Amino acid sequence: MKLTGPLERVLRVFLADPSARRYGYDLMKAARLPSGTLYPMLARLHDQGLVTSEWEPSPDDAGGRPPRKYYQLTAEGARAARLELARAAGAVPRAAHGTARPAPGSTQ
Amino acid sequence: MTRPPRVQRVAEHLIARACRRLPGEAGDERYREWAAELPAILSDPDIGSGVRRSARALSYAAGISRCARRLGRPGPPASLPARPGFPVRRVAAGVAIYLGLVGLVVGLAVAFHLHGPWPAILIVPVAAGFVAFCLVDLARADQVRYLPKWGWAIVCLVQIPLGGIVYLALGKIPRANLEPPAQP
Repeated sequence: MKLTGPLERVLRVFLADPSARRYGYDLMKAARLPSGTLYPMLARLHDQGLVTSEWEPSPDDAGGRPPRKYYQLTAEGARAARLELARAAGAVPRAAHGTARPAPGSTQ
Repeated sequence: MTRPPRVQRVAEHLIARACRRLPGEAGDERYREWAAELPAILSDPDIGSGVRRSARALSYAAGISRCARRLGRPGPPASLPARPGFPVRRVAAGVAIYLGLVGLVVGLAVAFHLHGPWPAILIVPVAAGFVAFCLVDLARADQVRYLPKWGWAIVCLVQIPLGGIVYLALGKIPRANLEPPAQP
């Protein structure tokens, strides 16, 4: 996993409550990311097995609202996220909110 | 059932168009996922006015279109850091093009004794086209260097045509410099 600024923000949001299921707009708001950044990242995390997605069965509070797709960290994802964030914090001291941009070429 | 608001229909249309870039099944599923977020945006209590909600929904749809383009093509995924390295040749080419342009304009003006509105009539469409080209290129880029995208947009607009040339030489990341996707 390559830790970039936006990815770090998403991981922090997920880790705030690792068992929570989040939908796309919820994540966009919480991580302050545009859709064009968030969804490719979710797709990548999903391909790596760090995040699972599932359709909500039937919207219960719905006024005819279409069903949403929810994302959730896997156990492996939560482990990897904690590791990466700890590693980033150890390597470079960052602001608490993690808005700092990563140095180019900072990998693994 | 009431008809959804116009903004929602426009955004749905944009998302549907974006999803056509994705292969069959995946496109359908993505459309359902992405379109389902629109009601949440348009009724978001944290966004004050209806106008701002509409703007948010449209910018969401524009982001989806960028996202579908990335997902639809094999190659570097989102958020790749650029390989470091100062693009000496591109900067040199940019300087040469700029000096050439200035020389051409001055040369033409002197050679044809252009006065009055003519220089402006010749230059303005070219300059506007160039700025538009730079801004479109900027909007479509996955990532740029040194400045955030909005910073480059200001540079392109404020210093015509030098800003655009500087953006193309420095800020734009050549396709060849994008790293191949990292293997998990």
